[in-house]
Amino acid sequence: MSSSRLCWPTPNGLPALGPTAVLAACVALLAISGPAVELDLMRLIAAIPRMIEFGGHLLVLPDWEYLPTLGVNMLQTLEMTFLATSIALVVSLPLGVLAAANASPHPMVFHITRNLLTLMRALPELVWALVFVSAVGLGPLPGIMALAFVTVGFMGKFFAESIEVIDLRQVEGVAAHGAGWLQLRTFAFFPQAFPDFVGTVMYILDHNLRAAAILGLVGAGGIGYDLVMAMRMFDYDRLLPIALSIYVVVTVLDRLSDRFRRRLI
Amino acid sequence: MSKIIIKDVAKRYANGFEALKGVSAEIPAGSFTVILGPSGAGKSTLLRTINGLETPTSGSVQIGEQPVTHASLRAVRAQVGMVFQHFNLVDRLSVMTNVLTGRLSHRSWLGSLLYLFQRGDMDIAHDALIRVGLTDKAWSRADKLSGGQQQRVGIARALAQQPRVILADEPVASLDPVTSEEIMGLLREICTRDGITIVVNLHQVELAKRFADRVIGLNEGVVVYDGVAGGLDRATLSRIYNRNGDQVDEQLETMLAYA
Repeated sequence: MSSSRLCWPTPNGLPALGPTAVLAACVALLAISGPAVELDLMRLIAAIPRMIEFGGHLLVLPDWEYLPTLGVNMLQTLEMTFLATSIALVVSLPLGVLAAANASPHPMVFHITRNLLTLMRALPELVWALVFVSAVGLGPLPGIMALAFVTVGFMGKFFAESIEVIDLRQVEGVAAHGAGWLQLRTFAFFPQAFPDFVGTVMYILDHNLRAAAILGLVGAGGIGYDLVMAMRMFDYDRLLPIALSIYVVVTVLDRLSDRFRRRLI
Repeated sequence: MSKIIIKDVAKRYANGFEALKGVSAEIPAGSFTVILGPSGAGKSTLLRTINGLETPTSGSVQIGEQPVTHASLRAVRAQVGMVFQHFNLVDRLSVMTNVLTGRLSHRSWLGSLLYLFQRGDMDIAHDALIRVGLTDKAWSRADKLSGGQQQRVGIARALAQQPRVILADEPVASLDPVTSEEIMGLLREICTRDGITIVVNLHQVELAKRFADRVIGLNEGVVVYDGVAGGLDRATLSRIYNRNGDQVDEQLETMLAYA
């Protein structure tokens, strides 16, 4: 037997049974589920000319007259994002404390808050937007409400998790000097969880901008409405600028948040 | 300023470990008392029952006229400062804010929510920083300081509280010998000048002998010595550092050589 023969790092040199079985199961599952979602290779190949044609349509000069409207709608989307995130931040801070095992006043409160937060983020923004559009009518308001609602679900959970990993010695140091319940949370829990909080807010801001960009789909304000209309009316001269503007705003926000975070921590 | 009465305090932890087996002691007001003993003797547990960080399984603790109970916890802690082995400062807050947390028991929760203090609190905190010689670091972040400096902030925090009692749990165990000397000197000076009752946990015989008025020797949850620091002779020390009834090993010989 040649010593250069390839083998796996197992006693007999054959692939380990566990990983092989898992991999095989995954492949089998994909093979079964592929046809169910009509993922078939022939259709994909047949669609190539159409895709090229669609791509060609995108490469048209933008509709210059539309650009100012785009700017206004993009601004509205940004405003929705900031407003919804700020509202959610104010609500999430106390809920985060109640949902943290080590800061909650009682196990019952902890469980109830946790479940409430799970419920809030169980459905995506779009679904909540549908609900709020039915409740308060079309426009950015139901969009902001839906966004803030789901954001509280995520932010509260992230805040709670940041609070749960803090150093309890620092808490004891403050507690030993007669600080009250809320004072402990303000002076010992909060400063320790703060860098994590900032990271969470930045991440969620980024996520919310993208979420806000599609809320228009259901008539909840923002750039999404224009995006859907352009798509449906084959206004390719608007489609590309809209997509590009979303990309630019997301990228700028991402860079800014990175810089801000680094300065703070 | 307040005397401490410890009566038959026993503590059994949830895992069944019996840290204290009926400890009684009276610590006079304004005295400097060292609780001496090997690791695991129950020193920390005893000290922590005094300000209610631990609840005794049985027995009682009284500070001045005030019994330490769950209901009186905040009132007790408002007059008892504490210094920790690992300093237990809030790392991300400034030195000044850390010292000001010693004033929290005098402030309302509403103002504290906005990190608001009174001018008077600032003056007290500033004076405390002067006492420990750290005014130039007042606005540094606590975790930027060296161990010795952090411990002095810990002492300033206890002082800012204007307490009747200061408890110090192994305050020099994480520090080098020179810094240890400074910290013990500072505590001694606070006791003498301000008349604050000070109780310090130590495992170093030599420091106990030099700084204490009185030593309580603890071994396996039982008081084996209670008297003046001068009374710590060979026989006493071997009783304090005795393990499982065996005769004391060479380590004690070395320790005594340094004492």
